[in-house]
Amino acid sequence: MSEIAIREDTVLDALRAVMDPDLNRDIVSLNFIRNLKIEGTTVSFDVNLTTPACPVKDRLREQAKQAVLTKVPGVKDVLVNMTSEVRRAPAPDTSVLHNVRNIIAVGSGKGGVGKSTVAANLAVSLAASGARVGLLDADIYGPSIPILMRSGQPAEPRADNVIEPGLAHGVKLMSMGYMSPGDQPLIWRGPMAHKALQQCLLGVNWGELDYLVVDLPPGTGDVHLTLVQTASVTGAVIVSTPQDVGLQISMKTLRMFQQTKVHLLGIVENMSTYVCPHCGERDDLFGHGGAKRAAETLGVPFLGEIPLDAAIRRYSDEGTPVVLSEPESPSGKAFQEIAGKLAQQVSIQTFKRIALTVVEE
Amino acid sequence: MPALSPDAATPVSIKKKGGERVTIGWADGHETVLPARYLRGRCPCAQCVSETTGRRMVFEEHVNPDVQILAARIVGNYALHIEWSDGHSTGIYSFDFIRRICPCPECAGPAA
Repeated sequence: MSEIAIREDTVLDALRAVMDPDLNRDIVSLNFIRNLKIEGTTVSFDVNLTTPACPVKDRLREQAKQAVLTKVPGVKDVLVNMTSEVRRAPAPDTSVLHNVRNIIAVGSGKGGVGKSTVAANLAVSLAASGARVGLLDADIYGPSIPILMRSGQPAEPRADNVIEPGLAHGVKLMSMGYMSPGDQPLIWRGPMAHKALQQCLLGVNWGELDYLVVDLPPGTGDVHLTLVQTASVTGAVIVSTPQDVGLQISMKTLRMFQQTKVHLLGIVENMSTYVCPHCGERDDLFGHGGAKRAAETLGVPFLGEIPLDAAIRRYSDEGTPVVLSEPESPSGKAFQEIAGKLAQQVSIQTFKRIALTVVEE
Repeated sequence: MPALSPDAATPVSIKKKGGERVTIGWADGHETVLPARYLRGRCPCAQCVSETTGRRMVFEEHVNPDVQILAARIVGNYALHIEWSDGHSTGIYSFDFIRRICPCPECAGPAA
């Protein structure tokens, strides 16, 4: 053969001299060169730019052509085809959640109904039954899970930027509260809250989990939207007090989950009945049964009611949820029963759910 | 706007044919075929529909006839997110919305 065989790497080396003026890197390392073909003395390739509107398109074409013609011996013809592909901003990598079987969101219409207490006790109760459980405190306004689950190891960032979750009472823990130390509040606009929740969900080494319980902020807002847009939430639990006004507001939260197609696993009535520790007389301070009636009207499972009990408050402040400290107390039993019903609803829902993916036709 | 039955807005299959169309099968047995340009011209995002007036700003006739779907992914349980070859990617199409803009003769393409 009289012709010099032209090699691909010689061509690429020549093209490395061509720089994209905007990105300030050569077009080879930018991975712009596609479909490189060498046929005899003719070299052809595509230069795949990041936009069809590239203002220096013609200049790049000419530079690429000249670079190959002048630097690669034996080349007589260079065919440059300019193409473009608008690079996409990468969608968040949700692969870490593939090992999380079920995500349970715990929400409420308003603050102060004991949502976090319920979330913590349900998580601990599920873990005590042998399930692998994580608890994510997504309440940016008042992250209280670190207090409710005080003991154990805290969450810690690793060298590779992955956060190792904390561990307390057999539950893996992460809290938005860990993102601001001590008494410093989280003063965030929506986009910050969005980023922080995504990091708490996707940047944490959750490992294999049967249930990830997410304690949401009260009401409806940025954090809720981020959760339902980032993850496929199995279902939601609404915590409410028996008061009608509380339920009116809970309804908004409920509708939000319906609109974003998050299944309602059930309603829990907290601060239900007060049993006087001195005389044992029952008193319905906030009314009674409001949540159950609402659940019936809406066709949503009623998971149970939790009494207004000073022991719940005390153990919560101590960081040892009542369901662990006094499992045989009426409150401890109520939480276990609710956790059982919740697990049952999750199983039903998991069975019914169709795992959807976009399939190429 | 009458409420859709739950089955009418629950997808059971989502197929994409290259960059040209998305086909959704629904729990009630219906099928919605959405050509790329049709869907791009009904993007519900705040750039295409004015946030203050609710009026649509970008219509199908404004969209490049060759617009391609680069990627389609499911958002949580409720919507489809599409990245377009014209660089647009802010639209989140809820399944309810998609069913309402079904262009088939039977649905007669109610106004988007």
